[in-house]
Amino acid sequence: MTSIPQALLWCLSAGTVAAVVLAALLVRVRKERAGLRARLTAAEEHSSATLHGNTELSARLRATEAEVRHLAEARLPDLTLALAHPHVPVRGLLDQRFGGSETDEALDAVMAQVSEAITKERTRVDAAAQSTLRGATTTIQALLYQVQTSLQAMQHKYDDPQIAQDLLDADFLNEQALRRVQATGVVCGAWPGLTREDSYLAELVVGATSRLRGYERVQVSNQLRDPVAVVARAVEPIAITVTELLANALHHSHRELPVTVTLQQGNRGASVIIDDYGVGMHDDELKHAMELLASNDGLLLTQLGDPPRSGFAAAGQLVRQYGFGVHVEPSPYGGVRAVVYIPGDPLLTVLDEGARPISVMAPMPHRAPGGPRDRAAVPSAMPTGASAPATPAGALPTPRPAAEAHAVPVQPAPARPVAEPAPQQPPVEGELPRRRRRRPQAEQQPESHPDTLNLRSPEETGSRWAALQRGTESGRAAAHSEPPRSPEGNAQS
Amino acid sequence: MTPRQSSGRRLVPAYLATGGRARPSRNTLDRLTVLIGVDMPITSEVRPEEHRILELLQPGALTLAEVAAHLHLPVSVVKVLVADLVDAGRLHARVPIPEAEQFDRQILERVLDGLRSLKS
Repeated sequence: MTSIPQALLWCLSAGTVAAVVLAALLVRVRKERAGLRARLTAAEEHSSATLHGNTELSARLRATEAEVRHLAEARLPDLTLALAHPHVPVRGLLDQRFGGSETDEALDAVMAQVSEAITKERTRVDAAAQSTLRGATTTIQALLYQVQTSLQAMQHKYDDPQIAQDLLDADFLNEQALRRVQATGVVCGAWPGLTREDSYLAELVVGATSRLRGYERVQVSNQLRDPVAVVARAVEPIAITVTELLANALHHSHRELPVTVTLQQGNRGASVIIDDYGVGMHDDELKHAMELLASNDGLLLTQLGDPPRSGFAAAGQLVRQYGFGVHVEPSPYGGVRAVVYIPGDPLLTVLDEGARPISVMAPMPHRAPGGPRDRAAVPSAMPTGASAPATPAGALPTPRPAAEAHAVPVQPAPARPVAEPAPQQPPVEGELPRRRRRRPQAEQQPESHPDTLNLRSPEETGSRWAALQRGTESGRAAAHSEPPRSPEGNAQS
Repeated sequence: MTPRQSSGRRLVPAYLATGGRARPSRNTLDRLTVLIGVDMPITSEVRPEEHRILELLQPGALTLAEVAAHLHLPVSVVKVLVADLVDAGRLHARVPIPEAEQFDRQILERVLDGLRSLKS
């Protein structure tokens, strides 16, 4: 019976040991659990931080992608457009947060590279196009000059009106073609293609008008005091410039309206002033024109627009190369006024009209009487009704007021007391014409001759006959030694 | 006189003188037509080239070809200018004097024969 308590004791002790062990284990487990929980929390925190970072990164990546796409889709097209048209704005970064970052710098570098590449390529292509055009125009221009020469020769050869008409038409067409080709060549950097001799400014301007359709609308008024001429090397450049300015004036005004050209002589040079009464130019057009006329940079064909407007560009090139000036401004008449100023020092000279007669088509200068040419010019320059103030000796027999214009001339009776047998009476309609002396008669026939016709003494008659004989002999002697008369012999006194 | 030796290319073309016309308003003009200026004041509506013609004819008559040579213009163009001036009454044009020549003896004899045969 002793075994029962013993067994009980053993059981109890065993239970106690177990409880102690269990308690110890429990404590340990609790500790481990707390540690685990702390680690879990840390891990969770870490993971959430990572997640957050990830989100941020992907957002940034998306923004960068968008920025690159923006570069490709918006900024580069803007840039190419802006290089062609400077007024187009180029867009900046899509996301301003990139400002100053490496991304921004990289993208800017791309833009700069593209811009440089485009500019270089454009200059290269333009230069190639210009040289091609230059080559073509030079050849065509030379050919057209040959056509001009043969047309001119044919005009002198054939009198038949039909043929002459065709020749004149062909000449005009050729002249227009020449002008186009020449201006295009000049824009492309070619020289004007022709060196002329020193030429009168009036002649030059009239010649410039002849190259344009509608030249009959151009009214040239010559206000030059002296026979001003342009030196040889500048003749053709100035003619081209005046032609292009006139072409603008004619093109932009109604076909009924005139274009007035005034030649004005200043203290230090001469000006060609072209006024039209047309639609005028906008401010930006004027600005663009003045830029073309004044800029020192090379010209690009792409700047001329489509269809190309080469007028101001050609004038600008020539202004740069030859040193005259062109100014364009709104005209007080509503249209455009263009002024070509030719400085006297290097570009102008004065020619001798006797040695180098001016073209007959050139407008007469409004000059004071004096030279042989001015005699007939004076009455026309006077307003109707006013007589010439100082008619030179060689002019019409009596200065008649211009208002007294008779179809059939009347014998000028005053200042001639004795009725002469009309030696210098102009032939009346129907009467046979008489050959008259080349020199104006009033010069050699003062009033004394008709007065003393019947009152001559024999001695006087004798001396007159002797004088006649002497004159005839000296005349014959002179005829052998020198040509009978100069080209201008008629008009000279 | 001899035409000016043009050392350079012409600056002013001939068609400018007439505004491109080459058909004169009268077809009676000839190279040898003698032109006589009418003593009439030159008014401002006369164009420069007409002015020069009138100026040239003031001292006396010239043929059309001579005028053309003085002006360095083709004869066809000068014809137009002259025709205009004649129309405006500023110029007289006279046909050239035909060359004096003897009558053809054969024709005269045949006419005489014919007359005689008529009579008989």
